[in-house]
Amino acid sequence: MAVDPTRRGLLAASAAALPLLLSACKGVQALGTPPPPPADVRLLRAAISAEEQMVARYRGALAAASATSVAYSVLADLTDVQTQHMAHLAQLSVRLIEPTVRPSRPSHLTLPITGSLSAVLAELELAEQSASDRLIGQLAAAPPSLAQLLASIAASEATHAEFLRAVRRGG
Amino acid sequence: MTGPPAQTLTALQAALAAEEAASYGYGVVGAQLAGAQQQTARADWVAHQVARDQLTAMISAVGGQPGPSAVAYRLPMPVHSAAAARALAVIIEDRVTQAYLGLVAVNDRALRDFGARQARAAALRCVVWRGSTVAFPGLPASSLRH
Repeated sequence: MAVDPTRRGLLAASAAALPLLLSACKGVQALGTPPPPPADVRLLRAAISAEEQMVARYRGALAAASATSVAYSVLADLTDVQTQHMAHLAQLSVRLIEPTVRPSRPSHLTLPITGSLSAVLAELELAEQSASDRLIGQLAAAPPSLAQLLASIAASEATHAEFLRAVRRGG
Repeated sequence: MTGPPAQTLTALQAALAAEEAASYGYGVVGAQLAGAQQQTARADWVAHQVARDQLTAMISAVGGQPGPSAVAYRLPMPVHSAAAARALAVIIEDRVTQAYLGLVAVNDRALRDFGARQARAAALRCVVWRGSTVAFPGLPASSLRH
């Protein structure tokens, strides 16, 4: 899957250039309601947001797991999976050229986790499977190279769910 | 009536070729394994045969000629141990995953969905043999942005 410079240009042009050109002529007030972003931009934003949530979930799960007598290898494996989600996030983020500065999010966001470690892992497993299914359901709206990335991430998340299932079973 | 776009047929043929190679490769994998691992290899072999037949039918349905399977395949490395067999299974599933991601790039909603689900199934089989998960199943490192 090659980097497609024209696609980047298109994203930037459709989302950024038009409002800037218009604002140069008439001022921001004359713009009215801006047009909705293209479908692939909405898709990317949603995928980025989902990965940010997932990273935060793992941060909470790792904190919860550290407080128990869980095996070190499980902590290491959970950390690996979190790192893979951070890689997903990086690959998605690099494909989105935002026309304006988005409100900054706290990068250290931690979703509070309650319950037993088994319940925490079950919750993560459900989140991974749901994320995988959701991505596959959204592929039709994506340009080809983004669709391939999303499908690969969906496959990765399904393997995370399987890994978590195995940990819960003590495998 | 016009046929499917050339890109669609090419992607279907590539997936078929990967499944045919996988069917062959799992015969080699299974021969080096025993017990539960051999049973897993057998189940995976059956899954690849089912997928191969499905792709053959899909190609015929759109008026294409399914590519013939090779009599034998050159293995990426010698396979004379259980460890080598598991490593071969990882390579097989990675290649199958990659081939199905090719189908995800076509402009046909049903084929995209099929490709994505098959890529996911291959990644799930792969993780059993690899023993760990990866961030981007089926995507070569060169396709990732840095």
